Amino acid sequence: MVERIEDLNLPNAVIARLIKDALPDGSNVSKEARVAIAKAASVFVIFITSSSTALAHKQNHRTITAKDILQTLNELDFESFVPSLTQDLEAYRKMVKDKKESKANSKKDISTGDATASSSSAAAAAAADNEDANK
Amino acid sequence: MASEDLFQNDYSEEPDFGQDLDKNEEMNTEAAAAESDGEDAEPAPAPNQTTNMSPPANKTSNGSKASEPEPDGKLTQLPMGRIRNIMKLDPDLQIASNEAVFAVTKAVELFIESLARESFTYTAQAKKKTVQKRDVELAISAVDSLIFLDGALHF
Repeated sequence: MVERIEDLNLPNAVIARLIKDALPDGSNVSKEARVAIAKAASVFVIFITSSSTALAHKQNHRTITAKDILQTLNELDFESFVPSLTQDLEAYRKMVKDKKESKANSKKDISTGDATASSSSAAAAAAADNEDANK
Repeated sequence: MASEDLFQNDYSEEPDFGQDLDKNEEMNTEAAAAESDGEDAEPAPAPNQTTNMSPPANKTSNGSKASEPEPDGKLTQLPMGRIRNIMKLDPDLQIASNEAVFAVTKAVELFIESLARESFTYTAQAKKKTVQKRDVELAISAVDSLIFLDGALHF
């Protein structure tokens, strides 16, 4: 869980870089403006989460999925984000898949048994559920 | 120290007379340094310090190792763990899949960029180069989809 309140702030350096990349060369951002944008970003996370949660509950889903997030963005007039996000999600799924495969291969090398660790297999099952939900 | 200064200055005047050439050459350089410094008679640091040549070689070998790209490239710039923690503040949230957290993280990155761009239009209108808080507030009140931020920045 969250131990310190600062853990809920987004990292300043990353925010500054994201802003800088979005603006034309030679422009600057005042510290107050950067803080305002960072706060807005945190509020955006909370806003999107609560909307997605409401959406998932309406469909009797306990887990919110990427699909819920995309649908929420569409409903909240952020549909311009969706195409780029869909691409990113594909890249993410591929990365997770590759990681899983390489992990499975290394596991096979080390141990012959199938029930290695109950916790990791449970996590894998949960991940598989999520993927099913997304399809 | 003052008496030493005087002493050396005395010596430094003597080379003009050609006495004790070896010693006087040494003293001459020292005296010249002292004179150019104005007061200190301390010998200037030796110019032949050529000892620190090996460390850079080590550095380059280390540097080339460090500059190699990491095998597992990051897809997000913002930390997903942090985003998940913020999402968990929602009491109604039970489980968020990793993909959902990833989607939110990416969405926030896009959000920051678009809010920055939107704010900058007001900066440019005012013929300025630095985005001020005022510009961000103007952008928020002008864009319909940002209405959820209304009042959120004043705490």
